[in-house]
Amino acid sequence: MNPVPRRSDSGSSGGENGEGLVLVTGANGYLGRELSRRFLADGMEVVLAVRSSTARSDVAAALGPLAERARFVAVDLTEAEPFAAVHPALRRRITSVVHGAAVTRFNVDREVAALVNVEGTRHALALARSCPELESFTLVGTVYSSGLQVGRIAEEAHSDEAGFANFYEWSKWEAEQLVLAQADELPWRVLRVATVAADDDTGAVTHHNAFHETLKLCFYGLLALLPGCGDTPLYFVTRAFAVDAVRRLTDPACPGGIYHVAHDRSASITLDQLLDIAFEEFESVDDFRKKRILRPLLADEESFDLMVDGVTGFAGSLVTQALANVAPFARQLYVTKDLDNSRLRSALHDYEAPDAASLVRATCHQLVATRWGRRAAHV
Amino acid sequence: MSGPRTLEPVYVDDFCFSLGHRKLSVEDTVAAGHTRTDAAGLLDAGFRYHHVCDDEQSSYDLAAAAVAGMGDRSSGADAIVYATCLPLNGNVGDVARFDRSKDVKHLMDYPASRLQADLGLDDAIVLGLNQQACTSMLGSIRVARGLLATEPDMRRVLCVTADRFPPGALYEQAYNLISDGAAACTVTKDVGAYKLLAAHQVTNGAMVTADDDETVGAYFSYTHRLVTELLAKVGRTAGEVDWVVPQNTNAKAWQILARLLAIPADRVLCPSMPDVAHVISGDNVVNLAYLTASNVVQPGQVVLLVMAGYGMNWQGVLLEKA
Ligand SMILES: NC(=O)c1ccc[n+]([C@@H]2O[C@H](COP(=O)([O-])OP(=O)(O)OC[C@H]3O[C@@H](n4cnc5c(N)ncnc54)[C@H](OP(=O)(O)O)[C@@H]3O)[C@@H](O)[C@H]2O)c1
Repeated sequence: MNPVPRRSDSGSSGGENGEGLVLVTGANGYLGRELSRRFLADGMEVVLAVRSSTARSDVAAALGPLAERARFVAVDLTEAEPFAAVHPALRRRITSVVHGAAVTRFNVDREVAALVNVEGTRHALALARSCPELESFTLVGTVYSSGLQVGRIAEEAHSDEAGFANFYEWSKWEAEQLVLAQADELPWRVLRVATVAADDDTGAVTHHNAFHETLKLCFYGLLALLPGCGDTPLYFVTRAFAVDAVRRLTDPACPGGIYHVAHDRSASITLDQLLDIAFEEFESVDDFRKKRILRPLLADEESFDLMVDGVTGFAGSLVTQALANVAPFARQLYVTKDLDNSRLRSALHDYEAPDAASLVRATCHQLVATRWGRRAAHV
Repeated sequence: MSGPRTLEPVYVDDFCFSLGHRKLSVEDTVAAGHTRTDAAGLLDAGFRYHHVCDDEQSSYDLAAAAVAGMGDRSSGADAIVYATCLPLNGNVGDVARFDRSKDVKHLMDYPASRLQADLGLDDAIVLGLNQQACTSMLGSIRVARGLLATEPDMRRVLCVTADRFPPGALYEQAYNLISDGAAACTVTKDVGAYKLLAAHQVTNGAMVTADDDETVGAYFSYTHRLVTELLAKVGRTAGEVDWVVPQNTNAKAWQILARLLAIPADRVLCPSMPDVAHVISGDNVVNLAYLTASNVVQPGQVVLLVMAGYGMNWQGVLLEKA
């Protein structure tokens, strides 16, 4: 399934030359905000789709003077006509749609995931189809749309046969299916992003996801058991890498299709290595060292399920909550995936695989130094 | 130059126990407001009944009753190691009399001394052991072994543990339903029911003030570490453990631990749990007493006793059925 170019190559406008008008959904999100900044910095016209006035002022404040050149539209994907505010005159000028809005919690329920992530994508596609000058439609996806599939994960459509660890994964897979079903009508891209560990190579973290929360629970001695196999490879990127890749891959000059915004297995890190590094960093803190908190044991699936099921019988609310945070992605930690990123590497000519261990170390260092954002890093 | 000393084998035997006189069902005790957890939660954990002392029954009464259960097997003991979980059970004096008189002798009326006198063990030395919480009975077995190894004249040590909760206390600790009770056994150089293969303890004193969440957080990793180190001491593996006799705690906790240790869950034996709940530091001995009656453990089989206790203490003892 090759994406169809909408306009002739010579007419491309959304490239790094700064022409074109891009509409970004989820523009106030962790990735969306930086992506919007990047489009604006490249001189493009940008429409920031956000759903609330708070989100609008937050993102405006974050973007600073660049925000003066941005246009805002109110988009709530749970509404019947979420893109109603994008009026026809604007649609006629849109050259790119980057659809990043999604409910990103792993414990999202099926109904919400279906409404926002699946139906929301259907609406975003309808919007794209109504833009006559459209040169690219991008779905910001996840490498976990492959669900519990093991082995080589190609930059190709997946089946859903292996099942999913949670409704977030399932909904992102369904969203991909919607895009692929319209492959003949749109110049599409699906950019499957790996887990974002940090803002950039410094390891600074301004947005905490399940990875950071799990490390926090280990640091405070609340997780005795972790699900997973020690040799399960984990795939991390920085936000800087993801934003740069997404920006470049949305360029109409870049061939469409599916890309893994991820590094391959050689730049992954195993769960065991991650825990080794994390605990080395934790040990640098006197309080932690004195408490002699042991590394959590890696539990097989059945043990971990027993723990989750039984925990209310022998633990308080913090431990119960800790397990509830980890449980929705637990099954992924038993799955060995071998991510392929050859399309990404051929599209990004200057691509270099990073050292995963250094990124994880820098990230853990920052998390500890800031106590997961509660302190200034120098304290 | 002398080679490494091989310790003379010691044996653990004569498992006896006694319980508070009042036997209450989970439903009754929950209705009386003696727990934090509701009845469904405690029943789900595997508890059915527990035992509470009546007003006249002291922790010393419990100890004396437990030792009485072994008949004349206590006679001739060269030492008594008397272990308590709650430090207040190490004194049977009347605290009210101290309040009135300000004389600390009322705080030093030691149950171990009384036991020595009541049993007529005139030559026995007497030791009190506390601050090991629920692990103190296993601690006393370890101390007994140490005494036998270093005191050539000693052949037999009587180990006793006895605790009752003070009036008004909740009968639930760390999600376990508690019974007032005592347990006793002998540790001896004479061949007995079980050969003592190894004993091990881990204490993480820095976490003495850990809250319940931190305690649970540490429970699995430290128990795993304790067992792994205990087995390593005698070059054994988890696969060589035939039975685990743990403390009477939520059944799911040991289902999980067994899997983590690669020990089949059906090898974990706590037959006394529904009937007696968590008898503070006596659980292993109470369970061994139940097992003695049922002949489940066969000669040559290896039995692992494990306890976790407050103050971040973990203790384990490895036995082999003689
Ligand atoms: N960060 C990662 O590690 C990672 C990894 C792989 C893939 N991804 C993908 O990257 C995209 C962005 O992720 P992120 O980390 O930036 O997530 P995020 O910070 O949670 O941002 C999600 C965005 O979606 C918006 N949104 C949620 N529900 C909406 C609704 N009903 N209507 C309109 N907008 C709605 C949010 O707006 P509100 O603020 O108003 O809720 C927010 O702007 C997502 O599609 C995610 O699946 C992220």
